[in-house]
Amino acid sequence: MLERLRMDVFTAIKHYDTMVKDVFSHPKKRPGDGKFKATKLEAAIKSIVKDVTGNSESPLLERNESTGCRT
Amino acid sequence: MNLRVAGREYISFSSVYLVLHLFLSFVCAKNAHNMNIPILFRTYESHETHPECKIWEAARATSATPMFFKRIEIGRAQPFIDGGVGRNNPSWVVLDEANSLFGARPIGCLVSIGTGKVEAVSIRRPSFFQQIIPTDVIEALKAIATDCEDTHEHMLRLFAQLPTTYFRLNVEQGMERIKLSKWERLSKVEAHTAQYLRRKEVDKKLVLLGKIVAAPKARLTIEQLGMYNPHFQSGNGSSLLQCPLGPWNRSSTGWNASTVRHLWPPL
Repeated sequence: MLERLRMDVFTAIKHYDTMVKDVFSHPKKRPGDGKFKATKLEAAIKSIVKDVTGNSESPLLERNESTGCRT
Repeated sequence: MNLRVAGREYISFSSVYLVLHLFLSFVCAKNAHNMNIPILFRTYESHETHPECKIWEAARATSATPMFFKRIEIGRAQPFIDGGVGRNNPSWVVLDEANSLFGARPIGCLVSIGTGKVEAVSIRRPSFFQQIIPTDVIEALKAIATDCEDTHEHMLRLFAQLPTTYFRLNVEQGMERIKLSKWERLSKVEAHTAQYLRRKEVDKKLVLLGKIVAAPKARLTIEQLGMYNPHFQSGNGSSLLQCPLGPWNRSSTGWNASTVRHLWPPL
């Protein structure tokens, strides 16, 4: 959040609060492979990424722009 | 964790991120097929880049704590799980990565930020918990806590002669009863953190850290650091085998020599 999405700390905490509530509020009724739903986690992460970059499928890799001089 | 490497390059590492002022960062995960080596999902080009990996996939992989979430498949059906034991305090991974990126430059500072100390003794006996959470979760949490503190101890030894280079911030009390998934207790986490930050020694540390980050006194490269510490230069190569380096290759007989040499080539 802080780095790839360039969030400031307060925004990151705000998003984290919302995300953990979404993800951990409802444990699986039948815990199989994990106690919580990975689909909820995925949806929460994608929503944050979309909020910031406009595209939930944005690549992790930042080509060249990150290796240039940033002021 | 922030790692400042001489001059203007600024690396910041919060929990699982490594960042330059250029915004270089990575998260750690493990390939479930090969648990020995941490896999780094980086935001920058490297010889091991995952070019097709998306932001959400990397975030999902590093969050896939066993028993909480199922694993995720990325790329050619490679299953990934959270970095887990051996990687919860990724100081070694950061040093190794910084060494390969900026090996020739002296290290300015390394800041490690923990998520709260969990004293093993404070975790109640499994019999009490068994109905709520399985014993193996308790064992896993204990292992994580121990693992983080072990790494911290190793860092303290590594940086013993460079006292203003390594900083660890970790809330020491109150976090032990807060489970990973207890989101409704976030206000308590905040309160404990605020209390920790108000402590005199922590406040002094933060002031010093501020000064160091603003003007690092870089003196040694990461490789020299390994040699600088008497613990690492007590003679022949065999002493290196006992060095607590590269914990991911720990075996029952000690530390894997090739990893140690990869990290800190002997004299």
